[in-house]
Amino acid sequence: MVKADGSKPSFLKDLNTLLQQNIREWGMYIALVVIMAYFTIATKGIFISSRNIANLINQTGYIAVLAVGMTLVIIISHIDLSVGYLSGFLGAVAATAMETWNFSAATSIFLIVILGALAGLFSGFLVGQMRIPAFVATLAGWLGYRGALQLVTMSKGTIVITNEAYNAIGNGYIPDISSTTFLPGVHKVTLILGGLTILLYIWNAINSRKRMLSYNFKILPRHLFIIKLIFVSILIAGIAWILAGYRGLSWTAVVILIIVLFYNFIMTRTVLGRHIYAVGGNPEAAQLSGISVKKITYVVFCSMGVLAAISGVLYSSRFKSATTTAGTLFELDAIAAAFVGGASPSGGIGKVTGSIIGAFVMMSLTSGMNLMGIDISYQYIVRAMVLVAAVVFDVATRNRKKI
Amino acid sequence: MVEAEKIPIVEMHNIKKNFGGLQALKGVDLVLHHNEVLGLVGDNAAGKSTLMKILSGAYIPDEGEILIEGKKVHLTSSWDARQLGIEMVYQDLALANNLDVVANVFMGREVVSFRLGPLGVMDEHYMERETERLLDRLKIDISSVRLKVDSLSGGQRQAVAIARATAFNTKVTIMDEPTAALSVAAIEKVLDLVRELKAQGNSIIIISHRLEDIYQVSDRMMVLRHGRKVCDTPVTGDIDSFREHVVAYIVGARDDFAEEGSDQS
Repeated sequence: MVKADGSKPSFLKDLNTLLQQNIREWGMYIALVVIMAYFTIATKGIFISSRNIANLINQTGYIAVLAVGMTLVIIISHIDLSVGYLSGFLGAVAATAMETWNFSAATSIFLIVILGALAGLFSGFLVGQMRIPAFVATLAGWLGYRGALQLVTMSKGTIVITNEAYNAIGNGYIPDISSTTFLPGVHKVTLILGGLTILLYIWNAINSRKRMLSYNFKILPRHLFIIKLIFVSILIAGIAWILAGYRGLSWTAVVILIIVLFYNFIMTRTVLGRHIYAVGGNPEAAQLSGISVKKITYVVFCSMGVLAAISGVLYSSRFKSATTTAGTLFELDAIAAAFVGGASPSGGIGKVTGSIIGAFVMMSLTSGMNLMGIDISYQYIVRAMVLVAAVVFDVATRNRKKI
Repeated sequence: MVEAEKIPIVEMHNIKKNFGGLQALKGVDLVLHHNEVLGLVGDNAAGKSTLMKILSGAYIPDEGEILIEGKKVHLTSSWDARQLGIEMVYQDLALANNLDVVANVFMGREVVSFRLGPLGVMDEHYMERETERLLDRLKIDISSVRLKVDSLSGGQRQAVAIARATAFNTKVTIMDEPTAALSVAAIEKVLDLVRELKAQGNSIIIISHRLEDIYQVSDRMMVLRHGRKVCDTPVTGDIDSFREHVVAYIVGARDDFAEEGSDQS
């Protein structure tokens, strides 16, 4: 049924079968590259400028973090509509904690992460324990947290955050070695990190290839493997170079990276991740196999709550304030990012890395169209079309695979 | 050893179960010996699935007792039954389509290579080797254990479900309509698999509407009708007389266990 590897492979044939097998996963990477290339040309290079890319990453941060959690929720065939206002509300609580109660930045963040976890557990209780459809349960959360946000911000309207350390999370960049002679104006630590990432990636790829070979896994033919290594290395180098041209790696980017690596590890390597996918694929089968669907529901919603808190930190620190409308429609952006990133509305399928790419696709569209001066009304329509195209593409490729 | 083998692996005595006003089981006895294939037949709503769900822990009986290898047990969940080595292969295939064969075989029993706090990191290679070994042992033909269950044929999926049930020191495998909705070729493969399991020493209870299947693989068969056992006999003779014989019990023309005076209460 599946050819392990052709004996005398012709390069194009290999590439073709490879593309066909992985089209769903690679489709969005290709889409992201195409979208970025288009906007780069259309804006005469402004889009790909260091400053704009750095901005784009910081703008995507608070949605990307939500999209990671939303991916897990969608995998277990639920939805969480409450996280947008929860993120806004928790940001406002952090602001109040620092400005009114004089908490330190770290204590405030700790406080709202705990509150986020509790809020998530409450959603998990409604959905997993009381068996209320997630749509309804989290719609109640949407209303409730919106009210809570307005309550917290009622007295001042907007709470301005003066804590420098806190604001650096959304605006700051990692420090650099000061040198005026070697590569002036370029962020050297970012370049070094980029280089290290490439080495780590290549080392890891070669190792896992060796391991897979010894277990008779299906692997890429050697020439394609090398092309893939070079392609990804150039990509990482390119991103590092672009970022180094402005102020380097932002703290927001560091937060996104840590969260993505952590969640990707959980979903692909651990028993917990396997159980989350199993519950999404067939809850009855999972339950019969001794997996507690209830426990998984609690864990997934709790993680969503924690990520909503982190999203709240990223947003409020970026704008150095908590406003009454913070978090509006974040949940829908996160859901859209997850679907563009390949999550399946029927559950069981989705990847954390995919959702991050989805978030960047959506934010690139916004950023690019803003730079081109396209009216906001058209922007919504374009984003709608991209979402539909992504889901149609997903369904079409999936049906074809079932033959 | 020989003495131990004489004790039936499963004994169910006088099992009763009501659903509201409906008497699904009216006191059924069942015996399964070591390395025996028992066919369980009966019309719809005869109580076959209910009886098997009781044995697999999914239902708790209102009355009656269950002995596993001579020891009385109380089954309160499918997990309990599984701990005792009783596995059920469900008619609607308890597989997760989004996962590959390895993940399905080890679902809920993932092997951990090391732990990071509450997170267990899976030993994928071990699980993969074991899955390959299991499929080889049962002569199940699937090109790669890394294929998603989604992309397998109906027969292959049933084979995976059965392999999964028999993978972990299972003493009794219960199969609920394992050949339903399968092609003729796939049915043959599933029946071969049942024979293979018996050859390897498993004890099996098989529910089927297809009397040919029961005839082909079973040592003994039991007929239920309206929540009562009406027949319990070794499978012998040729297929036509067997079928005629069994149908007479299924439709109620014959009854070996009818009590004096009370016809069919």
